Amino acid sequence: MQSRKHLSWSTLGIGICLGLLPFPAAAHIIQGAQGGFGSGFEHPLTGPDHFLAMFAVGLWGAQMGGRSVWTLPVTFPMIMVAGGVIGMIGIPLPGIEIGIALSILALGLAISLAWRPAEWFALVLIAYFALCHGYAHGAELPLAADPADYAIGFVLATGMIHLFGIGVGLALHKPMHGKLARALGALIGLGGIYFLVPAVLAA
Amino acid sequence: MSPPSSLPDARPAFSWSGPTLAGLGLIAIAACGLAPGLKENPLARWILADTLAPARVLPLIGLGAMFALIAGRALLAALLLFALGIVAGLVAEDRLLALLDHLPRAATSLFYAGPISYLASGATLVVSARWRIRLTPPAALIFGAMLGLTIKLTDPSLHEPAFTATPLLAACWIVAAVTLTLRAFWRGWFPVFGRILGSWLLAIGLLYGGASLVPKREPPPPAVSLPPPSAPGAERAIPGLPVPDEPAPFPGGDRFKQP
Repeated sequence: MQSRKHLSWSTLGIGICLGLLPFPAAAHIIQGAQGGFGSGFEHPLTGPDHFLAMFAVGLWGAQMGGRSVWTLPVTFPMIMVAGGVIGMIGIPLPGIEIGIALSILALGLAISLAWRPAEWFALVLIAYFALCHGYAHGAELPLAADPADYAIGFVLATGMIHLFGIGVGLALHKPMHGKLARALGALIGLGGIYFLVPAVLAA
Repeated sequence: MSPPSSLPDARPAFSWSGPTLAGLGLIAIAACGLAPGLKENPLARWILADTLAPARVLPLIGLGAMFALIAGRALLAALLLFALGIVAGLVAEDRLLALLDHLPRAATSLFYAGPISYLASGATLVVSARWRIRLTPPAALIFGAMLGLTIKLTDPSLHEPAFTATPLLAACWIVAAVTLTLRAFWRGWFPVFGRILGSWLLAIGLLYGGASLVPKREPPPPAVSLPPPSAPGAERAIPGLPVPDEPAPFPGGDRFKQP
């Protein structure tokens, strides 16, 4: 319990210090036209905010164990689509960038604290984060030169990052009583602060 | 999660049939792309560019996984209905098109045959094993109809039989290779991965369909920040403005150059 508190306070302290540094604002929504499969596949892999969130979803699911190993990565893309459709229609949804940054921070904290909430609660949390990520990408999709190929590339890359997160989570579950996974969660949380500060300042 | 008890154990003689089929097909594809005679063949070029495009192949992999996850009478019914669906898509093309034409922007989106295929395979894979057994046969019928329709709609040859038979053969090859390989090398985590794959297919289908429903928007113009006109080198930043140091090129001047 003591170490858990120590970890969370140290995470918060380092995070605040890093947050005070003049980082450039995170740009999740890419300007201009997208291509096909290649740019859709490349986008989640080259966007660190999306990558961290997807990776954390897989890692958290593996850390929780049981059904959560697959319910979290299965729920995420399906709710992400709902956000994507809202984005495509063009319904304004304020605070998306903040929501994306918060998703990284919250998932990082959940992993670092080895938090195991009720499955429904974890799914609700994941659903909100998926909505934010989906909205950002859905707004881009009608601009794509080939929406089908872009969607395929994008969803495949997202799913693969989930699987990578699950793999890492399962591999780090046993060694050092899962402390490595928790340390990784703390790093992800720091990444969340990195994206949150400029998003809040820009809002 | 353990595999369905009704799934038969693969016999050693057949266990390599899936990978062998996949290997032979890949050799045929490589030959289409590399062999000098086939490379220029319109049918081979069309198969490589259209039939084997990622958007067409992925739902077929999903269908193969669907067939691998069921067994017995459900599998038999699904295979029969898949074949029936293909025939319906090829023969009753006009009726299906009239039905799908009620959807907005259907004519410009290949009548949503692609998104419907994704949704049919994704929804069946994502549900529990009990529901999968019930959903696979009707989903296979819908999938088959959409496959037949897509082959007819994308046929560039105006009813040349080879342009109908070859993509159909390629589609059946993908489905059979995936099904046989998965069944031969069965692992307990396949149904879990099937659900994850199903969620991807559903997501792609909904995004693909949604993007086709929403009118295509023009991308916003890139933001250009121009320096003040008095700034040195400002004339270089304005596209189309002749730079004083370099004379404007004489139109068609290169025609007078000696070779």
